[in-house]
Amino acid sequence: MISSYKTLNRVLVAGTAIAIALLYLFPLFARTTNNPSYYLQIVSVALCSAILTISLNICMGYGGLMSLMHTGLQMMGGYAVAILTLNHHWNGWLALVMAIVVGAVFAVLVILLSLRATYLYFGMITLAVNLIAMEAIRQGGSFTGGYNGLIGVMAPGITTTMMTPQAFYVFLLTILIGVYVIQRNLVFSGFGRNTMALRESPETATALGISPNVHRVKIFAVSGALAGLAGGLLSMQLGYAMSEIGDLGSGLIFFVGLFLGGISTLAGPIIGVAVVATIAFLIRGTAQYNTLVLGGLLLLCMVVLPRGVVGMYRYSRFGSPHVREFDQAEIDSFQLDISVKDVVKNQILLESHDLAKHFGGIHAVDGVSIVFRSGEVHGIIGPNGSGKSTLISCLTGYYPLTAGSVEILGNPAPKKPFLISRLGVTRVFQIPHLFERESVLDNVLTGMYRRDRYSIFDAIFRTPRYRKANARSTEEARALLALAGLLNQQDLTAGSISHGQKRLLEVVRAVATQPKILILDEPATGLRQDELDVLKGLISRLAKEGMSVVLIEHNVDFLMNLADIVTVIESGKVIAEGTPMEVQKNEKVLDAYLGRTDFSKELA
Amino acid sequence: MDLQIWVEGLYIGSVYALIALSMTVVYQPTRIMNFAQGEGFVLGAAIGYQTIGVWHWPVWQAGAALILLAMAMGYVMERMVMLPVQLSGNRFAWIIATLAAALIFQSLFNLPYANVTFGYFEFFKTRANIFGAHIAMQKILVFTFMVFAAVFYDQLLKRTLWGRSIRAVAHNNDTSIILGIPTKLVIKVAFISGTVLIACAGFLAAPVIIVAPASGLFFTIQGFTAAIIGGVGSPKGAVAGGLMIGILDSVVRSSLGGTWGVFSTVMALALILVVRPNGFFGKRVVGR
Repeated sequence: MISSYKTLNRVLVAGTAIAIALLYLFPLFARTTNNPSYYLQIVSVALCSAILTISLNICMGYGGLMSLMHTGLQMMGGYAVAILTLNHHWNGWLALVMAIVVGAVFAVLVILLSLRATYLYFGMITLAVNLIAMEAIRQGGSFTGGYNGLIGVMAPGITTTMMTPQAFYVFLLTILIGVYVIQRNLVFSGFGRNTMALRESPETATALGISPNVHRVKIFAVSGALAGLAGGLLSMQLGYAMSEIGDLGSGLIFFVGLFLGGISTLAGPIIGVAVVATIAFLIRGTAQYNTLVLGGLLLLCMVVLPRGVVGMYRYSRFGSPHVREFDQAEIDSFQLDISVKDVVKNQILLESHDLAKHFGGIHAVDGVSIVFRSGEVHGIIGPNGSGKSTLISCLTGYYPLTAGSVEILGNPAPKKPFLISRLGVTRVFQIPHLFERESVLDNVLTGMYRRDRYSIFDAIFRTPRYRKANARSTEEARALLALAGLLNQQDLTAGSISHGQKRLLEVVRAVATQPKILILDEPATGLRQDELDVLKGLISRLAKEGMSVVLIEHNVDFLMNLADIVTVIESGKVIAEGTPMEVQKNEKVLDAYLGRTDFSKELA
Repeated sequence: MDLQIWVEGLYIGSVYALIALSMTVVYQPTRIMNFAQGEGFVLGAAIGYQTIGVWHWPVWQAGAALILLAMAMGYVMERMVMLPVQLSGNRFAWIIATLAAALIFQSLFNLPYANVTFGYFEFFKTRANIFGAHIAMQKILVFTFMVFAAVFYDQLLKRTLWGRSIRAVAHNNDTSIILGIPTKLVIKVAFISGTVLIACAGFLAAPVIIVAPASGLFFTIQGFTAAIIGGVGSPKGAVAGGLMIGILDSVVRSSLGGTWGVFSTVMALALILVVRPNGFFGKRVVGR
């Protein structure tokens, strides 16, 4: 199996190399035809389309942002080049750089304006922006050339004033390869993981300390920059900039390409555009049916090939990731330092004073004062609906407080969940919130978000700083997985492992954020005995290292063995607090539970 | 400010309100904002142009053709949108599918009518005089139709079993199936009735508004803006939002020029999304 995987991989690598070589040699083939410049033009335009489709893939496929203004960004990049070179006689190279800047700045402006609407409306807003941008260009008078556009844009030259079409073709192809590499580096970096985490589940990503808005703005800026670049290159290739370039109908090719090739895959955009460009070439005689054919193809492709060509391959037996097996010696060799820094024994890490949360007339939490200390396993129990989870949501900033206050490390707690998380309070939800389409290892790496000390540029260009940080995080993530016995699953997607493994993985991911306080909401639910033992070992180890572990549990046996201190909550109030022994003898607790056979039995 | 401009704004607003209303009809059970909805408007205008303008059919005959073709379009649209949405599993499926449907219909309209504007003669050539503002009876007809359609749909949602089914499908498709609600039928009927509604609007309004084969997306955007400002999913919101941007558009257009009219509606949209993301009458939106 492994050897066949390797063979297939080699075939793919060799095929790609041959394809790239053939593409570089294409101008020579074109020369043998009766109309070399025509064929060269067709392939060059397809190369520009591929760059734009990659840009679209970055924001839609990986960023989870539906953009309908990429044709508009392309148009603006084209106009930036045209206006600067024709009206202001700028150097072509500088104009190209400005096209990138224009694309990025415009994208940032649009997303800043619509941050509150990223989910449902963002696509619609971008569509409206696209229409307006086109209208503005058309009404731009002599500045933009109005309906006629600006004609006479030239490719930049190195020694001469202008590159030959052949040289420009080679330049385009090189840029496309560069853009592909940028996409790959971005996707595999910590930044890419975080963005995908946000796409999968904004709630969980926030719990890990990832700021949703910062990531969305950044990824859209990168995407806009690449779209501006594609537009600048296209206008140089075509020799003009026109408002029609911004038309959504002419942008259909990008969507078809993306969905046909496979959205959220690296090679999908390029393969998809290659197929669509070939189809468009074959039906070139009947241009009025172009939109009809492409639109129909898009719908058909969504029905028949929902993951696209590359996506289908990835999900097939051949394309699924190869699982690396670790032997016991390797697993044992991982050294890990998970001790909590900057805290002393029994330090108060988090405390609440008379915390209350009312939903209308329901007092879900009604004056709770609670203290979490370092090195302590703090159990919270209470009947269903007693307000345990609400209490946690209040402590971690997911609900605004009705009354009372929360202090973290002696300071008032910030309002936003991701800011609280950054102070070292990490929460694991009651139902598994994994990034199911990401690998197990990537899930843990996402938790290491706050350790990454490199910028998005470091990631794109893989600077030494990025490489060092990435190697270190990967090593640490593996060590954490080894601790939970999940090392052999590291390359599987998180959606494909068992329920118990998922729960353990979630705890591991939370530990990866280097929390001072780890809040686990019913982690033992549905775990097998051996998995319970691993979890128990993990929790004791964390507490020994100085972490404050908060455990909300229904499994009383599990809790009583593990907890140093137990708080019992009923109807939003604390009715008892103390060591497990004290609590079990407490009159009030027995009173509260005696009527409930399920609990009195478990307590007995 | 000239009264004529305000009356004009009310009329344009009622067109936008009708589009927003038909988008609401589709949105209610499916939670899909249909990009192809504006194509129904173009269909209505095209049928009016062809049957009454070119073939000189009597109005009732044209109306019958209109309703039949609009039903057919609604059915086709439902298949074009719902199949990809159900089968692709991509979270953007609805937006891509409705957009593709819109572009397909647009290119179909472009085949026979490439350079045509669908104006045909008015049903009523008379003009009413309201406080000194002259207004074509045709425009009053559009406004009246809008009010009736909105009230009818609002009451349907609130008072009938069918209306409750629509809301149930919107909230939870699986539960609705368990409760015996024919969810697929509810969705089909929503697409068909939404398309008939908007096609009637196009048919009635074509003589007094500029409709070209490619203007479907423009009307979709206006209707969408109206729906957001009013609050997505609410018939009242559709009417209020439509009238608001109609008046805004008309006032700005007359004082600053045509391009600014479009700008002003988008600015209003941006403003409302920042200040009050759920619109004036909307509940919290749970999207697909």
